[in-house]
Amino acid sequence: MKVTVVSRSGREVIKGGIELHDEATVSDLQEAIHARTKKYYPSRQRLTLPMQAGTQGKPIVLSPNKKLVDYCDGNVKNLTVVFKDLGVQVLYSTLFFWEYLGPLVIFPIFYYFSVYKYLGYEGDRVVYPVQTYAMYCWCLHYFKRIMETFFVHRFSHATSPLSNVFRNCAYYWTFGAYIAYYVNHPLYTPVSDLQMKIGFGFGLICQVSNFYCHILLRNLRSPAGNGGYQIPHGFLFNIVTCANYTTEIYQWLGFNIATQTIAGYVFLVVAALIMTNWALAKHRRLKKLFDGKEGRPRYPRRWVILPPFI
Amino acid sequence: MRHLKHINLLGGSSASPKPHECKRTGHPSFPPELLLCKPSDLTSLLQFLLATPPLGTMAGFLSALRRIYLSLYNWTVFVGWFQVLYFAVKALREGGPTTVYDSVERPLQLAQTAAVMEILHGLVGLVRSPVSATLPQIGSRLFLTWGILWSYPETRTHVLVSSLVISWSITEIIRYSFFGMKEALGFAPSWLLWLRYSTFLILYPTGITSEVGLIYIALPYIKASEKYCIRMPNKWNFSFDYYYASILALAIYVPGIPHMYQYMLGQRKKALSKSKTA
Repeated sequence: MKVTVVSRSGREVIKGGIELHDEATVSDLQEAIHARTKKYYPSRQRLTLPMQAGTQGKPIVLSPNKKLVDYCDGNVKNLTVVFKDLGVQVLYSTLFFWEYLGPLVIFPIFYYFSVYKYLGYEGDRVVYPVQTYAMYCWCLHYFKRIMETFFVHRFSHATSPLSNVFRNCAYYWTFGAYIAYYVNHPLYTPVSDLQMKIGFGFGLICQVSNFYCHILLRNLRSPAGNGGYQIPHGFLFNIVTCANYTTEIYQWLGFNIATQTIAGYVFLVVAALIMTNWALAKHRRLKKLFDGKEGRPRYPRRWVILPPFI
Repeated sequence: MRHLKHINLLGGSSASPKPHECKRTGHPSFPPELLLCKPSDLTSLLQFLLATPPLGTMAGFLSALRRIYLSLYNWTVFVGWFQVLYFAVKALREGGPTTVYDSVERPLQLAQTAAVMEILHGLVGLVRSPVSATLPQIGSRLFLTWGILWSYPETRTHVLVSSLVISWSITEIIRYSFFGMKEALGFAPSWLLWLRYSTFLILYPTGITSEVGLIYIALPYIKASEKYCIRMPNKWNFSFDYYYASILALAIYVPGIPHMYQYMLGQRKKALSKSKTA
């Protein structure tokens, strides 16, 4: 079959199109485009079916595993696909590694080195136990995240745009420095011993739960069917869709109860808002996918991310 | 509820299905399905209610009320900014640049602070403009009006105050009269549209230069004062240094200015080409 590859403005991206055998997959097409263009490796290509003029809605994205014939309506000898360059891509594991490395390194810098001398605070500082535990807790958290990135998570998309590296690193590294500055400050005021224990204790339980949630999510994901999506189940997933985000948010709450900084709470609120956005999208996606029709199971009634609020 | 067409709260209903009637009394009543609806079907409930004759007219009434309110709002703030420009020019001619602030202080503070309402309008859906575009603009305006000029009287006699209030007032006079006319009369004359999308080409540079300049001039006074600063130690392990915050504000102008200017250029292209084809 002949595949014509056009840009969204209608210009032909591959002059003369591409000839492929009839049983070819989308992945084969992507390889062929890469062979013809050098610059556009497969993870950079976004291929969609042309939109009918005047129709609304999102265009149909071609899935790498499927056969090209599956996207042909009638005419199996010709297919037109619309090409979009997603820009330079990095592996998700690369993205996560760099964004988590920042906080992991920055916090101990504020703890161990006399940073505050250069910020106008002369003299030695007293280090409270809570500050030491905070440093361990924080570093454990980000070390865990890096380990999960390489050994636990299974990503639905292999890559992410390069620009996300700068954006995400700015977010994590800035907040990391902002919180580390206050927790390790020479004029830091610790909370009561009991409050510290409650905070770190609760935080630790949530960190372990969060890890277990990630293990459960990993075991859910197999390449077969439904775009890799399953109805999450087991442990907290039985009552809340994004239990992994729930445990993450509560873990930070525990950290903040123990360390009591405005900076930490600001981070908690911002992170919770971002995760809630993701959770709503995921919840909606799962409800749409598992609608109970045509033999598919129906998505059960569940909290989205933060019982009893949402 | 899927058979109900979308009802625009801002513009009246577009479909009026027959309301369900109780078979016994003939009075309008809820269809039984409604009672089994999830809370997420509240909008459908609202649409149903608005489709019934008594509430349908209420939707029209609400839409008219919205127009009256927005007309009043826009024209009132217009008058405020007109006063700012008038008093500024008068002071320039009579006493010179150093007297401008004292003449415009009250109307400036009132008109600029009233703009906070616009964030509310965007949030509740009364107007279509995105909160993300209005927030940085209002933020910088309030920062200058209250955080610099009102808080640090030493800055008030600087010549940049004149260029600031003149740039702002001309821009706002055009903007508020434009929206005021659209809400009250349903349209705005093409020359006003042209002004709204062209004067920024000059007034943005002059206004922003004045803003940045005044912040910079205020810096030594900010550093010397403890105003708005929160120091450690405290229970919440928080600190705020107004001097460094102001420097951060200045830094934000660096990427902010090209971004806003590009945005306005894009808006200009869209608005002026649309009027040509209209």
